[in-house]
Amino acid sequence: MAGALTERDFVRKLERAGFVEIEVLERTPMGIDDCALYPLFTDELLATMRLLIPAERLGRIATSAIVRARRA
Amino acid sequence: MSRDLLRQDEVRALVRDAYAAVDGRSRAVAEKLYSPDELALVPDAAADRALGVGNPFRHARIRPGDTVLDLGCGGGIDSILAARRTGPTGRVLALDFLPEMLERTAAAAREAGLENVESVEGEMEAIPLPDASVDYAVSNGVVNLSPRKARALAECARVLRPGGELCVADVTVEDEELPPEVLTHPAAWAG
Repeated sequence: MAGALTERDFVRKLERAGFVEIEVLERTPMGIDDCALYPLFTDELLATMRLLIPAERLGRIATSAIVRARRA
Repeated sequence: MSRDLLRQDEVRALVRDAYAAVDGRSRAVAEKLYSPDELALVPDAAADRALGVGNPFRHARIRPGDTVLDLGCGGGIDSILAARRTGPTGRVLALDFLPEMLERTAAAAREAGLENVESVEGEMEAIPLPDASVDYAVSNGVVNLSPRKARALAECARVLRPGGELCVADVTVEDEELPPEVLTHPAAWAG
């Protein structure tokens, strides 16, 4: 998650890579409870996130996006 | 943004170590992302090791006979589903930089009775495939792990044939910064 781009930057990098007809087809919020499903999120990291991320953002820390694009 | 808080080689090592260390199995991620019909098509071991962030197969337009690249195959669930879609006349190139993940995907393909899944060891920033050799590319929760995302996407474009498609599920963030303590936490670069 620390390496995630904004959707705008992701689409821009796809364009620069030579993709066209770029469509963002799904956007699903990822909250702290979703993160906890993954073994990659350690208990320590989850505790840090709960402590430091404002409560109103804990339900939407990031977004899972599905993007489709065609190679020009 | 604080994308350069850690050096590229540090990020790569963090991701490698974190994924290599994952040996627990849970069906929670797979059950959240995939339909029961899809899960019926994959061995339990692959479903239990799913670590993606979405289901690109809801939108991937893979056709029978396609050569499909699974960019970062992990435990193999998406390679198996892609192999079902492309069928015996097509093939899936399961790319990962971790031999442990390639072995898990290969084992899942064997268990599923699939002979059209081929392991490709390599990094997404230097895909060891020829130009225009792939019809379709899928990726699930992997691009965000790359310390060189522009390079990874350019490599994906290079190996796709003109007119080929990419369908990718990945994590995106809003413009507001996450706290530095989170952004620099080693586990946050893998999770």
